[in-house]
Amino acid sequence: MPVLALDTSAAVAVALVGEDGARLASRTSDERRRHAESLAPLIAEVLAEAGVDRADLTAVVAGTGPAPFTGLRVGLVTARTLALALGIPVLGVPSLDALAVQAVSDLGLQPGDEVLATSDARRREVYWARYRVVAHEGAGGVPVVETVAGPDVARAGFVAQAQLGEGTSEAAGTAAVHVVGEGAMLYPDFLPVAEDAPLVPDATVLARIALVRRAQGLDQPSEPLYLRRPDVQEPVGRVVPATGASA
Amino acid sequence: MADPLVLGIETSCDETGIALVRGNELLVDAVASSMDEHARYGGIIPEVASRAHLEAMVPTIQRALGEADVDLSEVDAIAVTAGPGLVGPLTIGASAAKALSIGLNRPLYGVNHVIGHAAVDQLVEGPFPERTMALVVSGGHSSLLLVEDVATRVTELGSTLDDAAGEAFDKVGRLLGLPYPGGPHVDRLAREGDPHAIRFPRGLTARKDQEKHAYDFSFSGLKTAVARWVEARTDVGQEIPLADVAASFAEAVADVLTAKTIAACHRHDVDTLVVGGGFSANSQLREMAAKRCAEAGINLRIPPIRYCTDNGAMIAALGSAVVRAGVAPSALDIPVDSSMPLTTVTV
Repeated sequence: MPVLALDTSAAVAVALVGEDGARLASRTSDERRRHAESLAPLIAEVLAEAGVDRADLTAVVAGTGPAPFTGLRVGLVTARTLALALGIPVLGVPSLDALAVQAVSDLGLQPGDEVLATSDARRREVYWARYRVVAHEGAGGVPVVETVAGPDVARAGFVAQAQLGEGTSEAAGTAAVHVVGEGAMLYPDFLPVAEDAPLVPDATVLARIALVRRAQGLDQPSEPLYLRRPDVQEPVGRVVPATGASA
Repeated sequence: MADPLVLGIETSCDETGIALVRGNELLVDAVASSMDEHARYGGIIPEVASRAHLEAMVPTIQRALGEADVDLSEVDAIAVTAGPGLVGPLTIGASAAKALSIGLNRPLYGVNHVIGHAAVDQLVEGPFPERTMALVVSGGHSSLLLVEDVATRVTELGSTLDDAAGEAFDKVGRLLGLPYPGGPHVDRLAREGDPHAIRFPRGLTARKDQEKHAYDFSFSGLKTAVARWVEARTDVGQEIPLADVAASFAEAVADVLTAKTIAACHRHDVDTLVVGGGFSANSQLREMAAKRCAEAGINLRIPPIRYCTDNGAMIAALGSAVVRAGVAPSALDIPVDSSMPLTTVTV
């Protein structure tokens, strides 16, 4: 009984993953400004490719960001509405968690190692969260990480200073912080990305994390991680001094 | 066989609207609005509206289903606003509609919001005659449409070149120091004033405009004229007769809208006029349209106000017409179009 996982925090990633964590089918699209057009066809494609009946899905897993708002919402509203139609739960997983978990496998990290996962927040800032590796392989073979700091949004230079301690990471006795994610790729001077580091969240990894957390009975809310307030300006309207009827 | 059950989703601005329509029968119309959150900013903030749409989507669908005592599995087709409107909000509705289409394995129909404002009247007064004129007026739109078949043949005769009628009301409301949204306040104030006290200009009615812009509207100049008039009075320390200003302004708007619409009815030999959109709540417009249509022998159809504001019913109504007309469903990759042409009924 598989789950469908989707992430729209960066590009669009969709995967159909079995209860045991096996990937049945996956698709990605690199169109950053066409999430709403790309996502639904990719969902239909993975279902068709794996020959899975939509009625057999047991959950919809969605990356909750942090991410630029419009694309993120495409994934979340799709996940919530699809889950409603199928009468199954939505499981939300922070997208940066998927990057950190994947980094553990890809970079061969060990307990105590740290990961700084980043994504592009636009406006010359990055979304980031810092993790510590708890286990290289946990339940279901999925690496276990815990959040040490973040998620938050800031300039790359600020993140580097606060989280990498600028040069102190190499000091004896301090575990290296491995920088991953495409947010850092944009600011190599501040945030040098580890070789072979994952750059965007993988929907399959997202699904595996959700399956483990579901088995552990953890709450997995699908609330978006915006981390920024909407841009709004109080109006400065010219107002006539009312002399007749007024409001 | 019973007509198909169509679920309509509307999210082009700040209302999350979900409705169920079978044939021309409305089963339920549920709306969640984020208007209160916008009032303090004096206008719709797209990001605020988009966040509200995401949170309201599933609860509003559930509320609609509950009130109609319908299960999602009974839905035969999904209709959604594909444009025109605000991109962020439109994207939420379109994504939800696509997810329902996949989840229920039912066809998707992306439809035009403005044409929906006309189509909703079929739920109230039944099918349109062979040729119908539709005047759609709201805070975002002021358009004159010739409707030969609401599902397949709509011609845009004219539109506003600048502000929409409702937008002009909101702006004049602000100018007169009234709370946002100004439209209803200006309307209320206008009822106490003399509509002939001040002669404000009628946009695009001059002879030179008749050829190219016979059925187009322009309210920006009118708004400026009101501002100038108020300024001139204020400068010399004179009292502003707010009610008279409001009444004379409202008269100018209603005059232009109705005069051009009735001229279009004559020109295109149409004897039925539908007025839709939130601004059709405006009293001067309603009164003048009723009077002038009666004089011209035109059958005037204005749905009750709750159908005129943005809601799911208008989209489900148009969707229902489109499905019954046998129009091909939309693909799962349809985009939303903030400036969707008014001749495009479905995408």
